[in-house]
Amino acid sequence: MSTKVVIKQSTYFDSVSLMSLSTKANQIEGVEQAVIAMGTEMNKEVLKNVGLLTPELEAAKSSDLMIVVKAATEELAESAYVQIEELFTKKKGGSKGASEIKYPTIDSAAASIPEANLAIISVNGAFAAREARKALENDLHVMLFSDNVSIEDEIALKQYAHEKGLLMMGPDCGTAIINGVALCFGNAVRKGSIGIVGASGTGSQEVSVRIHDFGGGITQLIGTGGRDLSEQVGGIMMIDGIKALEADAATKVIVLISKPPAASVQEKVLAQVKNCTKPVVVYFIGGDEEAVVAAGGHFAKTTKEAALKAVVLAGANEDEINKRALNWPLIEEVRAKLAPEQKYVRGLFCGGTLCDEAMYLAMETFADVYSNIQKNPDYKLKNIHESKAHTYLDMGDDDFTNGKPHPMIDPSLRIARFLQEAKDPSVGVILMDFILGFGSHEDPVGVMLPAIVEAKAQAAKAGRHLEILGYVMGTDLDTPNFDEQVKKLMDAGVTIASSSTNAGLLAREFVVKGA
Amino acid sequence: MRIQALSGDADFCKKLASSSFHGFVHSVFERTINLKCLDDNELYTIACNKLDNGPNTLVIDLPSLSGMEVAEGDPVYGKGDELIVGSGVFICMRQATKWEAHLPSYPCDIDVLRENVAFMKQYVDAKGKTGGMKMSSRPASLFERETSRMLNERAEALSIELAKGNSESASEQAVRLVGLGPGLTPSGDDFLVGLCIVYKMQNIPCCLSCRFFEKVVESSRELTNEISSITLKKAASGKVRESLVDLLRCLTQGSREELLPALEKVVGIGSSSGTDMALGLICGLERNLEAGGNVCLPKL
Repeated sequence: MSTKVVIKQSTYFDSVSLMSLSTKANQIEGVEQAVIAMGTEMNKEVLKNVGLLTPELEAAKSSDLMIVVKAATEELAESAYVQIEELFTKKKGGSKGASEIKYPTIDSAAASIPEANLAIISVNGAFAAREARKALENDLHVMLFSDNVSIEDEIALKQYAHEKGLLMMGPDCGTAIINGVALCFGNAVRKGSIGIVGASGTGSQEVSVRIHDFGGGITQLIGTGGRDLSEQVGGIMMIDGIKALEADAATKVIVLISKPPAASVQEKVLAQVKNCTKPVVVYFIGGDEEAVVAAGGHFAKTTKEAALKAVVLAGANEDEINKRALNWPLIEEVRAKLAPEQKYVRGLFCGGTLCDEAMYLAMETFADVYSNIQKNPDYKLKNIHESKAHTYLDMGDDDFTNGKPHPMIDPSLRIARFLQEAKDPSVGVILMDFILGFGSHEDPVGVMLPAIVEAKAQAAKAGRHLEILGYVMGTDLDTPNFDEQVKKLMDAGVTIASSSTNAGLLAREFVVKGA
Repeated sequence: MRIQALSGDADFCKKLASSSFHGFVHSVFERTINLKCLDDNELYTIACNKLDNGPNTLVIDLPSLSGMEVAEGDPVYGKGDELIVGSGVFICMRQATKWEAHLPSYPCDIDVLRENVAFMKQYVDAKGKTGGMKMSSRPASLFERETSRMLNERAEALSIELAKGNSESASEQAVRLVGLGPGLTPSGDDFLVGLCIVYKMQNIPCCLSCRFFEKVVESSRELTNEISSITLKKAASGKVRESLVDLLRCLTQGSREELLPALEKVVGIGSSSGTDMALGLICGLERNLEAGGNVCLPKL
């Protein structure tokens, strides 16, 4: 006789399932006795009475599940056990996280993984600050993905992290690359010598992608959260990020990215840039070139320029870089196709900074540029569901995502808006971004294609050319495959921009004639 | 995913309303999810709408919980009228009816009770589920046979001590039942749940000392699993699920027509859990019927 014993620690099955499993296990051919029971003292006493108690079973705890199979041979016992396991799997029915180790609290996780030095926190905003503080108390750097954290909590957390010499990335921080690992949303980029501190997620992603495209690589990408450069928070994390990258031997060049910061905060950040021993490229959308240069920084007007300057400062030969210049013959060709009344651009973006960048580029040429994220209240859309003149929409903003998934995850809202814009005869160009990489949709282009084909067909039927301009943000290392995503768009008649900057410029230039 | 809570244990609702709930998912089943609260170390339960109310339980408007994206270890937060499980499940308590277990008093007129207990005994004999306290004529294994034998032997020993009115020895016998039985809530525990609530009724003829209940609760922390232990703890303070309260009410004052569905509902619980609880009720009630009269508390 052979007895096979397995103890499943802290495993609970409802009584009905246990009894049914036990009955089936006893019916397996070759099994003399099978017991599936909780490892209580009393049950062990029963096992002893029936001659099945082993030293291993004696050690079982009352929350453990004991499985005992007694069969004529070891082979039979083993085979019966495999069948019992199959029954368990069927009962469990692929519940998620079966093979993951889950820790109920940050304290227990920190105690169980002493080598861990970073916690990513994504819980309801009402409780996020408490969890972040616990992580900091456990000497963990924090990436706080959650939003809806009060500004007071953000300041307190960042001050506490600062005192402890820890990074407090966020709240509302969606992008970071730490030691080569992309956290939350990020792209697969090569390692290199350029460090990024970014207060805008997709802006940081775009710069990292362009650096990769220009042949450079990333050391670290530190996110700060979108409010870090506000008057109240005072850029605590950006300044600490600069210091961290300055202290990092692998980082040769630092890039700073943000939407327009508060004036006093820009001053503080630039003071840190002035003291920094490493070259710093500053891309603050709509930023002040003079102030940056005065601080000894390298001013960049666009994401593309920021990436290019960083790569060159890191030692690349500028002449050998394909800078992907604007395709002027294409611009002329599109201008010729658009009717005079097709005067406007409609930008539908998943990425906030990509929207911002394209909008600022449009504002250089046009006065009537509206958006849900316009700083100028005169041009901030009163009704976000209706476009006016040139309209650039950040569809990942709270205006659109309140209670709904981000368009990088669920594209349905953008599809509906796209079809709405495509019907407008005053629209010449519709610009859209498609974001690849960790955390994004598995096929962002594929889900949009049917709508693109439909819109193109309807425009053709109405006797007008509709220019659809797409920008696929990703690298050759990303999933889904970058080239395949681009090809799908091109096959559907979409014009492809090679960068966020070029996308903004092309859209603007396409409609210049009719403006 | 937003789900409406239909009803909830009044204490649980009060806890959520007055302070924040902070814990994690302890265990996930098709019809229930247990939550461990880190503030008081107790287990709380989210139950599907096919289940009845119970202590520390919220009944939500879903027929099954298997589609909920919830896993063991997921964080749980509660505040005000919302309980947040994992990253995407929001349970709204705003419209939940508050429920509280109110055990009936031991009746002055014991004839109805005597008749109903006799009927229940017959019913359980005929239709009760085997595998626990009720031994199967063809047990699936030696283990099952031995478990049932030990359960019966120990329940009998407990019953004898109860008949003698000896709380101390009764508690010793009760402890020997804790954790006995293969299920998630071992049969010995279920039996004690039924027994405890009989002795928690007001005006019960044979009182048991507080020490009896304390001893059962204390021992359960070591001798059985957490889920069963919290059920015993609550039962020891007179708090059990709604169907068991209804059955006890029907037993004390209900007609046969009222008793039968209440009995069917309890016997239908779990594998043999309902039968085991019913047998605990029978044991407790029979001992008290034998003692006769209200000898513990003076009648007003």
